[in-house]
Amino acid sequence: MIQHFPVLAIMTLFLASFLVVLFGSRNKIVRGIITMVASTIPLVLMICLIKPIMIEGQVISYWLGNWEPVNGWAIGIGIEVDALSLFFALIVTLTVFLSAFYSLKYMSRDDTLEKYYVLFLMLSGAVLGLVLTGDLFNLFIMIEILTFAAVALTAFRNNEDGPLEAAFKYLVVGSIGSSLTLTGVILLYSQLHTLNMAQISAMLQNGQNSTTVFAFALLLTGFSIKAFIVPVHPVAADAYTAAPTSASMALAGMVNKTGVYGIIRLLYIIFMTMGLSSVQNLIVTIGTVTMFLGVTMALNQHDFKRLLAFHSISQIGYVITAIGLGTALGLTGGLYHAMNHTLFKGMLFLCAGAVLYSAGTTNLDRLGGLAKKMPQTCAIFLIGAFSISGIPPFNGFVSKWLIYQATYERASQTGNFGFALVTVIAVVVSVMTLASFIKVSQSVFFGELPAEFSNVKEAPVSMRIPMWIMAILCILTGVLPAQVYQYLIRPAVNAVLSPVKYINVMMGNGYAEKFLSKVQAAPDKSVALAGYWQPESWLLLFVIVLAAVTVAALLGKKDRGVSSSSAEVTDGKYATFYSGEKNEFSRVGGSDLFWGLKYNLRHYFGFIGNIHSGVVNDYALWAVMIFAVYIVFAFIFLL
Amino acid sequence: MMLLNYICCVFLIVLGLYTVIVKKNILKIVIGLGIIDYGVNILIISIGYNPGGTAPIFTPGEIKPGTFFVDPIPQALTLTSIVIGACVTAMALSIVIKIYKKYGTLDSTKIRRLNG
Repeated sequence: MIQHFPVLAIMTLFLASFLVVLFGSRNKIVRGIITMVASTIPLVLMICLIKPIMIEGQVISYWLGNWEPVNGWAIGIGIEVDALSLFFALIVTLTVFLSAFYSLKYMSRDDTLEKYYVLFLMLSGAVLGLVLTGDLFNLFIMIEILTFAAVALTAFRNNEDGPLEAAFKYLVVGSIGSSLTLTGVILLYSQLHTLNMAQISAMLQNGQNSTTVFAFALLLTGFSIKAFIVPVHPVAADAYTAAPTSASMALAGMVNKTGVYGIIRLLYIIFMTMGLSSVQNLIVTIGTVTMFLGVTMALNQHDFKRLLAFHSISQIGYVITAIGLGTALGLTGGLYHAMNHTLFKGMLFLCAGAVLYSAGTTNLDRLGGLAKKMPQTCAIFLIGAFSISGIPPFNGFVSKWLIYQATYERASQTGNFGFALVTVIAVVVSVMTLASFIKVSQSVFFGELPAEFSNVKEAPVSMRIPMWIMAILCILTGVLPAQVYQYLIRPAVNAVLSPVKYINVMMGNGYAEKFLSKVQAAPDKSVALAGYWQPESWLLLFVIVLAAVTVAALLGKKDRGVSSSSAEVTDGKYATFYSGEKNEFSRVGGSDLFWGLKYNLRHYFGFIGNIHSGVVNDYALWAVMIFAVYIVFAFIFLL
Repeated sequence: MMLLNYICCVFLIVLGLYTVIVKKNILKIVIGLGIIDYGVNILIISIGYNPGGTAPIFTPGEIKPGTFFVDPIPQALTLTSIVIGACVTAMALSIVIKIYKKYGTLDSTKIRRLNG
């Protein structure tokens, strides 16, 4: 009975996307009912799978058309759900449900809405299919449907400027990624004559040749582009900004998680290369650069949604860093943070959407004082801001604390100073995230209320319900980390670290043992062993880093040319908080809270602002560059 | 003969990537994406081809050990890939049309309102 659940969940979403356009093009109520039913069923089905998979430790396999393996060769398309797949499937279905709920009211001012829902449900089905499938070519098909739907959703409001441009960039970079993925899939097929991931995983243990190593580089590039890690991240920033907010939430909440899922599946299970320290160094380096560049770009932004988009990139950097450590603790932190990222980032995007819906703009230089008009949105925003900055007792703290510990543990294990540096960078990025959110709350919710927003009303109830659901989940996953770890994270980590069961369920018992020389035992780390709940020492660390950043920000104060003349002080240009040049002369806006910091680091901010040039050729070049880096890396270290 | 196929497909993929990176006209970028697709399709077909093999169409009793035929799976994959490529090209072109109407230009260096 339960083995039919995964395929039913995927089918429901795809079927509903066609039903919406057949029956829902005229009638708003029919459209809403089809969307809500179709987005609830997969969530319920996935929750039903928690007991057998997460608690009892089963792995569910399903052969489409009942084409089971013959003589140890997979010939059909298989769906295989282990704890890792189910973990991501739960994230995806929750996002789909909340995003659909929110969009009912949020999108009601747009027309041709049946097309929005067709694309949205198709995107959801593709993402769910991607995380549940056990077949490599099927995974490529899902990536293509996903890219296609995501690009079209980005361009949905094509009467405005940004969406078309963002969609085109996304399409170009995404297509390069998909083509490289397909090439990687077919090269693996040429060597192993199978497309089943479990079978490939087992057969690759006989040793790699140059073709499979090249395929590794191709697949890693494809998934990196899907996860939007540096240097292909500008596409994500554009797309999240330009898409309608309910779609931005889906993009930030689940589409980049498919990239994370793909990277985990590729590195840990298909190629099992995560034991090599060279691979760990590569992934951790990329993750660290991603989180640092993302947050510094976010400090530079003047648009609410674009700022959130860069924070989203930065948080994915944390996840990639953590999973790149290759340890059980690192994976725990990475998966926990991936889940938390979906919750708080989705919530923050919904807040931005509520502000856009009520006030009509997301420009940080124009907004202000909305806390009085939209108290609930403000409260939810603050919960999200505290969560993303890693303040106890919200969920971001738990996962970031695990990540700090994991990087530090790795540093003490290997004696590699670089991992300790990663810990420091992770804490600094966390501080900068908080700084950035202080700026947002100051420019959107507090401060002076401009006259043009005096008639702003609170967002409608049907938009606030999904926001509150996410806010409550943010707090619950923050205060009940032991339970979350027990029922969601630990099974997933075990599934990643012991792929034998994954292979055996798919290919028949004893198949994996024929190929795998050593069978890794599943680690059984308890929360107490990880020693994670020590808020006092964390707070001390936070204060030290905060002091360090403050000192760094104030160091160049003399150079700023503060005049002793009182006439110039009243000019406002050199005032403590609200200082700065007018917008038309400077990249740093006059209303910016962190003018001083930005002035001191103006060369850096100017540089990173300029390299995000907005020209599609540059972004394509960067995608090809990371591909070249992966090829060189793979041939040097893996062959 | 097969070597020529592989050289050709690598050449096409590299040419496509070069087009996407260097050409400033967004219409040419779309053409570049198409060229990458063709290169990948030739690669897939070449991998499935066995010189001298017959078409892989058999009834259940007909297939015996030693029957020599080309690999049918890559052909199925290619068909899927061609369909997807056509869809992507169609959507890219429709976006290009919209961009031209809005921006009045096809120059990628002028279509950069989202930057920084």
